[in-house]
Amino acid sequence: MGKRTLRLAHLYPELLNLYGDSGNVLVFRRRMEWRQMACQVEEVHVGETPSLGGVDIVLIGGGSDREQRIVCESLRKAREELSSYVADGGVLLAVCGGYQLLGHSYLMGDEEVEGLSLVDLYTDRGSPRLTRNLVVASEIARRPIVGFENHGGRTHLGPGVTPLGRVLSGFGNDGQSGLEGCRFANVVGTYVHGPLLPKNPEVADWLIARALERRYADASLEPLDDSVEIAANQAILDRLGVDA
Amino acid sequence: VSSRYGCAVRKEGIAVAVRTHVATGAGRLVRLVLRKVAHRQGSQLPGRVALAIDPAAISGLAARVRQGCIAVSGTNGKTTTTNLIASAIEESGLSVASNRDGANMAAGIASALLEHGPDWAVLEVDELSTVRVMGELRPAYFVLLNLFRDQLDRAGEIDHVQDTIVEALRLSPQTTLVACADDPLVWAVARRAARSGTRVLSFGVASDLHVGRDRVSGARFCPECGARLDYAWHTFAHLGSFSCPTCDFSRPEPDFAASEVEVSPTGVACMVEVSGRGPARLRSGLGGAYAVYDLLAAWAAAHLAGVTASSFADTLSSFSPENGRLEHFRVRGREVVLNLAKNPTGLNLNIGLMLQDPRARSALIVVNDEPNDGRDVSWIWDVDFERLQGNSVTPHCGGERARDVQVRLRYAGMGAEIACDVAAALELTEDVARDGVLYVLTNYSALAPARQELLRLEGRR
Repeated sequence: MGKRTLRLAHLYPELLNLYGDSGNVLVFRRRMEWRQMACQVEEVHVGETPSLGGVDIVLIGGGSDREQRIVCESLRKAREELSSYVADGGVLLAVCGGYQLLGHSYLMGDEEVEGLSLVDLYTDRGSPRLTRNLVVASEIARRPIVGFENHGGRTHLGPGVTPLGRVLSGFGNDGQSGLEGCRFANVVGTYVHGPLLPKNPEVADWLIARALERRYADASLEPLDDSVEIAANQAILDRLGVDA
Repeated sequence: VSSRYGCAVRKEGIAVAVRTHVATGAGRLVRLVLRKVAHRQGSQLPGRVALAIDPAAISGLAARVRQGCIAVSGTNGKTTTTNLIASAIEESGLSVASNRDGANMAAGIASALLEHGPDWAVLEVDELSTVRVMGELRPAYFVLLNLFRDQLDRAGEIDHVQDTIVEALRLSPQTTLVACADDPLVWAVARRAARSGTRVLSFGVASDLHVGRDRVSGARFCPECGARLDYAWHTFAHLGSFSCPTCDFSRPEPDFAASEVEVSPTGVACMVEVSGRGPARLRSGLGGAYAVYDLLAAWAAAHLAGVTASSFADTLSSFSPENGRLEHFRVRGREVVLNLAKNPTGLNLNIGLMLQDPRARSALIVVNDEPNDGRDVSWIWDVDFERLQGNSVTPHCGGERARDVQVRLRYAGMGAEIACDVAAALELTEDVARDGVLYVLTNYSALAPARQELLRLEGRR
């Protein structure tokens, strides 16, 4: 069997890269390379409509309101393409603003902006902004997922949508339900913004495995030495007094 | 009725004056105690006390500044630029009140203004604090250096920072904005302020510096119409000669322009035009392409405050930062360079600086996440640490988020050990770089402790 290769499409990196989102791309790339796999990264720029045939992982990051508004129009043109991709079991990771774009609508100031309707959820606004370290217990990882959240939006999941996990520390989707993020088919949306994957290598591997399963019908992954990543994950848990 | 009204106003006026007087006295007393008893500079507490007694103390204190105030804001270079302007005015024989150590929120500004009747006040102002202090400070000039993504969890998004500064300028209509012509995010603020009546002057670099570009730049889209900006050249990050292909948003012809810019490991030099006197050469030991902007902005402000070019050049030649901004130390025969690097742009510039150094180098990268650093350290993923690879720079990590830096460096292809302080980093690098230089790059709250430790190791304290 030849070298296993995955293609990753990073949507609008020049606009949706508010909080170090490029870290997620780097983690995908390295964790595949360390396992003798190849990772081809394609950046989709504003004005271009992504063509997702042959793509294995789609990444949508977070932007400022102004930047998200610019992206919105481009993205809506790609709605059909994205929708078929998701229905076909394509892996999609959307963080922060990108997570909000997955739903039916979100609020920009008082204006309701139409989203992609890829997942049955919507986002309204609340005060104050929810800003702090966030820890989430999720079925897709044995260790808690740690990261940082910073959002004015409050996201509400429809009945058929599974949350990514339960909030152990922090606010999550709406600061009230105790739920964080969403899971639907092979889509993961989360408010753990920017570099979600570096301190949560299990999440990276779960997404890679789903993509391998779809492309090669073989989700097996060679284990890596993640002691540095785990120590950084543990440092956040220790600081917040959360048990692993 | 009118007399009673007038009387009430007078009484209230007296009450306000008395309150400011009491606030000033109390603040000065606290400062005296701190300096004499605790041997501390008191950059915050005296101002905090004064503001607790009189919330409008800044207004009363600013009114006692004889000639005028200059406020300096922007993401990077505030402290260096403020120090340069303050030194330049002082060297021309005038007295200056200044928050030289970078305590740049209301308390720090009030503390600096407690100085007895200065001729000028030169004050660094935190971007988000502008709206709190500008209406009271009413500076003659407001220097806006640049705007980058920085401390996003505290500042919200860059759009919010821009809105805040526009509002702050509206509260001080007599202020002239001195804005960086090369930064589209700054120039967007200037255009909005000008529309509401603010007088605007600008400074910029007149030609391509031909410096390497780093990977991430914050704004490449027109702030007015959203189209992708065209650049005739870049100086660093998103600064350069920009123009919008679809609307009239473009870099203005700067009022203060730097030409013939030279950037070398030993410093920067440039030519500036002086109205009616021909060009003058400015030279400084400050490192990195970005220093040109600090220099140019400082020159513009100093010139507006009446400082001559030759006096300014003298200030530059004797200017040595003693605040952990590219400060040099010698510890047991080894050179240590300490510098502040608190966001991707700052760290990318420092990496460029290190790579220019021909000696063997190691680095200690210290990242804290205190409130004034920003609790969120996601930005380390926007730093081009990859450039250190294969360049014989041995990195180490420190600070409260050392483990995050360690993960970042692992994904940049480098193993890095954790050093709990500068002494530990010196020990770890003993073998690899006995004659080499150690760069200690820290973000905001880690800077003062690192500097104290270096002074102690050097035997100065």
